[in-house]
Amino acid sequence: MIKQSLLTVLIVSSFNAMAAPLAYKDGMMGMADYSKTSTDLGFNYSVTAKDAIGITSVYQQTDSSSRTSLTNELAYTRLAHRWNLSDAQANVWLFLGAGEMKTNQSATTKPTVSPGIQVDYETTRIYGAATVKSSFANNASSINTSFRTGFSFYETNYDEAQPWLIIEARRMSFVSPKYEYTPMLRIIDKSYFLELGANLQGQPRINFMYTY
Amino acid sequence: MKKMIFALALSAISVQAFATTTMSLTVNGLVCAFCAQGIEKRMKALPETAAVTVDLKKKLVLVQAKEGKTLNEKLIKEEIVDSGFEVVSASLIQKSIAEINK
Repeated sequence: MIKQSLLTVLIVSSFNAMAAPLAYKDGMMGMADYSKTSTDLGFNYSVTAKDAIGITSVYQQTDSSSRTSLTNELAYTRLAHRWNLSDAQANVWLFLGAGEMKTNQSATTKPTVSPGIQVDYETTRIYGAATVKSSFANNASSINTSFRTGFSFYETNYDEAQPWLIIEARRMSFVSPKYEYTPMLRIIDKSYFLELGANLQGQPRINFMYTY
Repeated sequence: MKKMIFALALSAISVQAFATTTMSLTVNGLVCAFCAQGIEKRMKALPETAAVTVDLKKKLVLVQAKEGKTLNEKLIKEEIVDSGFEVVSASLIQKSIAEINK
């Protein structure tokens, strides 16, 4: 029953290159990021306006599926610093995960530690972010690096959904030594955050966040 | 004459008592609706709050009090900080949000 509940939570719930990886104090956030080579699920609860605890599950595979890994971790997210400006917001986020990794190369699970950092800047019209997240495990470590930039098509009021065009360059060392480039349509609404796109190989990408 | 003065004083007090009060706060960091929704949710949870609006273009948060209730400026500012933002200024307006937005 406990395993089932944990699995359910994992399924509805990532920390990979999000706009704001934690909610407001006492808020909860579910996140899911899907692509052919990487699927991240996450769920967290904001203990304060700057600290969130939660769980993440990250599945990665090479294009040919010859190597796969599944990492399940307890995760801590820290808003290290925020600059609240009159027309902009800039943030430094820190991530720390601890858990275990299972690969198709080994019969045993390995303990993991996953530190990360994200720096972002956003106005109502432009967005930019750089994220590095590592996962250290014996013989199966991975470093994920992503850079995102984009712009909104127009300003909207608080109650209206706002469309953006976002371009992401992402490299996941477990998957490939090369960067993949993905243009995405981002929709920001007050209750959800959705990105839909496809990389230059035509593989679809879906990224979704919901705050409770 | 005394009756007239008493009636005038009474009506003035009544108007004051039932006037709708809205707190207008200028907030730094308001750039996206998804990030700002925490302000709305936390404000609506306050017992003295009748309505809340966020204006991303003007960087304003408007909090309307329920009739007969008083808004606590210190508490409202704390709620906005707990939502991740910074309050620059706050002022009270004797109008409803609907009247302000006309």
